[in-house]
Amino acid sequence: MSVPTFTEIELGYAFTPLKQSYAQDDIDRYALASLDMNPVHTNEEWASRAQVFGTPATVGHGMMTMSALTSVVTRQWGVVSHGGSVRFVDAKFTKPVKAGETVTATAKVKRKNHHGPGRNWVLIAVEAKDSSGDLVGLADVGYNLPD
Amino acid sequence: MAVPARLDKYTKTTKQRHFSRDFLAGWENYETWEEATVGDTGPAQRTFEIAQEDIIAYNRACGETDPLMIDPVHAKKHSPTGSVLPHPVFVTTIGFYSLGEKGLGTWARTPGARNPQQRIEINEPLEVGEIITTTVTTTDKFIQRDKAYLQMLLELHNEKGVLKARWWATLILPRTRADVAEFANA
Repeated sequence: MSVPTFTEIELGYAFTPLKQSYAQDDIDRYALASLDMNPVHTNEEWASRAQVFGTPATVGHGMMTMSALTSVVTRQWGVVSHGGSVRFVDAKFTKPVKAGETVTATAKVKRKNHHGPGRNWVLIAVEAKDSSGDLVGLADVGYNLPD
Repeated sequence: MAVPARLDKYTKTTKQRHFSRDFLAGWENYETWEEATVGDTGPAQRTFEIAQEDIIAYNRACGETDPLMIDPVHAKKHSPTGSVLPHPVFVTTIGFYSLGEKGLGTWARTPGARNPQQRIEINEPLEVGEIITTTVTTTDKFIQRDKAYLQMLLELHNEKGVLKARWWATLILPRTRADVAEFANA
């Protein structure tokens, strides 16, 4: 894992796509790890009756999608690595992800913010699509880079 | 049963064992959209002492395999903090644990809630052993396309008063307690 410098990174740089499984097991594990135990994620019977999203299926956490929208960047550049670090993640969720789905996240460097030595960062545009190709989430990720 | 028994096999940490998992129990005490007032602020119910197991459980649930994130021995030698590095969205775990089950911000537990958008800012990496105090402030409340949005800001400080992270949490909520009841009793 290595992080580029702010000088060398180019607009349009594309990260390796990331696939995330939303099998019910994966959603269950995420529920416990995040402590977001809303039954819409884990309780099939309740989800079927309540139909919060207009579907009888359980759905993955929006924050699980947010984690994928972030990981597509951090698996390549690291969470904190050689002067690089995540500055912020600003995510929107556009379609619920039903249990059993697989989501693919892609990311590209959209803007270089020239804030001076030691304070430069890039804006990365990230999006995630389900197996039908529908957009399920998108995010701006701010990432600090070494000069 | 509100929480299926199969989830027990994923229970790894002390906090997971003691956390109030059943979001359908005690919903009568959750703050509602109708009751929330922009500007209300206060401390969350609990502090969160970051344990290594909390970070590893979250990172593994995200599918992370980087030894800096899941291997304490490797992290001790190579991590810039000397311990496992949390995924940036680990802030979520701290938030849900700290908010508790009654009062300000507990609308995060609302049955029937939908998640439209979230923003997390990281000031400094969270570290094992830090004791995080969360301050909750209701920051926005509006209706758009007949949906009721509520937003709060969670500010996470360590025991030295250093601001570590901020989370603007937004949900679309059932508006009234009667509306929440329809979902809770579904």
